Amino acid sequence: MNYKLKIAWLYPDLMSTYGDRGNLIVLQKRCQWRGIGVKINSITLETEVSKLKTSNLIFMGGAQDRQQKLVSDDFLRQKAPLIKEMVEKNIPSLFVCAAYQAVGHYYRPSEGPDIPGASILDLVTVHPGENSKRLIGNIVAELINPKGLQGQLIVGFENHGGRTKLGKNLLPLAKVVSGYGNDGKSGFEGAVYKNAIGSYFHGPILTKNPGLADWLITRALEVKYKKLIELEPLDDKLSDLAKKNIIKRYNLTND
Amino acid sequence: MPLRILISFLIGKFVFTVSRLTGVGFGGTWPGEIALIISPDILSYFSRKINKGIILVAGTNGKTTCSLMVKSILETAGNSVVHNVSGANLLNGLVSSLISSFSFFPKNNPLDYCVFEIDENTLPQVLKKITPDIVVCLNLFRDQLDRYGEVDTIARRWAKALVKLPETSKVILNSDDPQIAYLGKNLKAKAVYFGVDDKNTYLKKPEHATDSIFCLNCQSRLKYQGFYYSHIGIWNCPKCGLKRPIPKYTKSFTKLPGFYNRYNSLAAIACTGELDIPQNLIEKVLTDFSPAFGRQEEFIKEGKKIKLFLSKNPAGFNQSLKTVLELNAANLLLVLNDRIPDGRDVSWIWDVDFEILSRQAGSSFGRKNITLSGDRVYDLALRLKYAECDFSICLDLKNAIEKAEIKTNSNEILFVLPTYSAMLEIRKILTGRKIL
Repeated sequence: MNYKLKIAWLYPDLMSTYGDRGNLIVLQKRCQWRGIGVKINSITLETEVSKLKTSNLIFMGGAQDRQQKLVSDDFLRQKAPLIKEMVEKNIPSLFVCAAYQAVGHYYRPSEGPDIPGASILDLVTVHPGENSKRLIGNIVAELINPKGLQGQLIVGFENHGGRTKLGKNLLPLAKVVSGYGNDGKSGFEGAVYKNAIGSYFHGPILTKNPGLADWLITRALEVKYKKLIELEPLDDKLSDLAKKNIIKRYNLTND
Repeated sequence: MPLRILISFLIGKFVFTVSRLTGVGFGGTWPGEIALIISPDILSYFSRKINKGIILVAGTNGKTTCSLMVKSILETAGNSVVHNVSGANLLNGLVSSLISSFSFFPKNNPLDYCVFEIDENTLPQVLKKITPDIVVCLNLFRDQLDRYGEVDTIARRWAKALVKLPETSKVILNSDDPQIAYLGKNLKAKAVYFGVDDKNTYLKKPEHATDSIFCLNCQSRLKYQGFYYSHIGIWNCPKCGLKRPIPKYTKSFTKLPGFYNRYNSLAAIACTGELDIPQNLIEKVLTDFSPAFGRQEEFIKEGKKIKLFLSKNPAGFNQSLKTVLELNAANLLLVLNDRIPDGRDVSWIWDVDFEILSRQAGSSFGRKNITLSGDRVYDLALRLKYAECDFSICLDLKNAIEKAEIKTNSNEILFVLPTYSAMLEIRKILTGRKIL
């Protein structure tokens, strides 16, 4: 059977700060190398929501402050209600960094009023004040969700001022092995709700952690074609080596 | 000379001499570092001793090349010039260069100009201490977000600092970078613009790595008549009417390949033009100008040519790739490090359009020999794998250079694209000594 997927990339010209495009490249190539047809639809300020509606997978990345403000209105009014509906219907999605914060209930900046979020995921983010430490550096974590991926180590780079607290409807994505994660205290990183994943990982996240990429592709195909899907394995030697290179620096052992 | 400054100057001189005599390469920053601890005013003090003018060159990409162009022009015009060592562009580097240039005997100090390249984050700090005659602002691109922060934050800090400059200063701005052009608003100092007018070189497809494509005034999407690279191009805002300022300087003279060098030379032309240096002299110097440290610098090894193209952020890397392909590059060595001067986060390589090296795109350029190295060689390899390129990996940099060079035919050039710390390492391997 000829499988086909449509991937929505939200605000590629505004929310794409540090290599976020890599996540799309990884999803696209991993589909193509397996003969799965894939189309990436850029969804930005001027794009009609109807284009978003038919997507089988959603990605939204990081942003600088000014860009985040530019997006905020359009996101909350136009796109977020539909994304919420899609996430509830098990459409797999990945929200990274600024997007991870924006899909929560609110973001409380170090000064000024709370910035409302889309309430797609049950989480809140608080910036603990101008003088608090920004959480920057390589990060290694062990997946505890979603099912089937538990125990895998994931690596990336985090760079965030906000501290994210998960509500009771959310499962953490991973347990931090080295680095800060959601808030630098809880020991957890990221969040999982149905087939949606939120994370602070840059790197970008899917490049060195192809297990997550394949999980998203599998869920997208299963939701679309309503049957169990098993993807052909790909040669991931290079991403393993890149991952081990970081893990080795922190004197951690893999597996 | 006030006693405190004298003491810091003498100690700085001493450190500089030790560094020079021992050949240990810390003369670019340590004399200044120590002098600043003793006397934080040392920069203001010495800057007042400069006869004709102080010029600061800032921007994400091109500041080393541009400042060196300005220096060469001014020197050819008969001036004595103080200039900071490439890369030593924080406060300690500026002070170090002043300490090494000034003599203890005041009558030996006929220093006409000070030409400093300045780190993006350091510019506001320096403007608090000295009032330059000219500030050149080249461009702002995303670069090491973990260290520098966001482009908008840097621009805001620059704007705040530049607005305090008096009417007697000039600020030379790039019309084609919306973020830089906008700095001209509200200045007391005189804004002078440079830019490129060349429809034939518009990109067919904009690059992915753009930072400032929304109006700084009304926040709506800018309209581009054409892009030259990244977000550099001919722009206007259809909503509020903000427009690219008409540049006064548009004609560049440089033989250096790469579109970005048109901008570097234009900025140098604008700067020295405003200092009333004769046009024919500027033209001659720039036509003969040889590249700066690590920027298209050429080496010969085993009879083969090696060219270094420092490539440290998406906009710069894209420009390097494009330039070497225009030069028919068949042999490439790409080196990715993640040390402090490179930025610890290597995610940015996914914003670089490596796809132009892919098997498919590459076929039009003929044979490709791509070697990869550096601390994060596997990340780079992974990026190239997803761009569907062929490559070989070599962990040890020295071996990598040798292997890549062996694969290079005798009539060909090996093009090396390294990040900053990798560039220093490669220079050390090729020249056998350490510079910074």
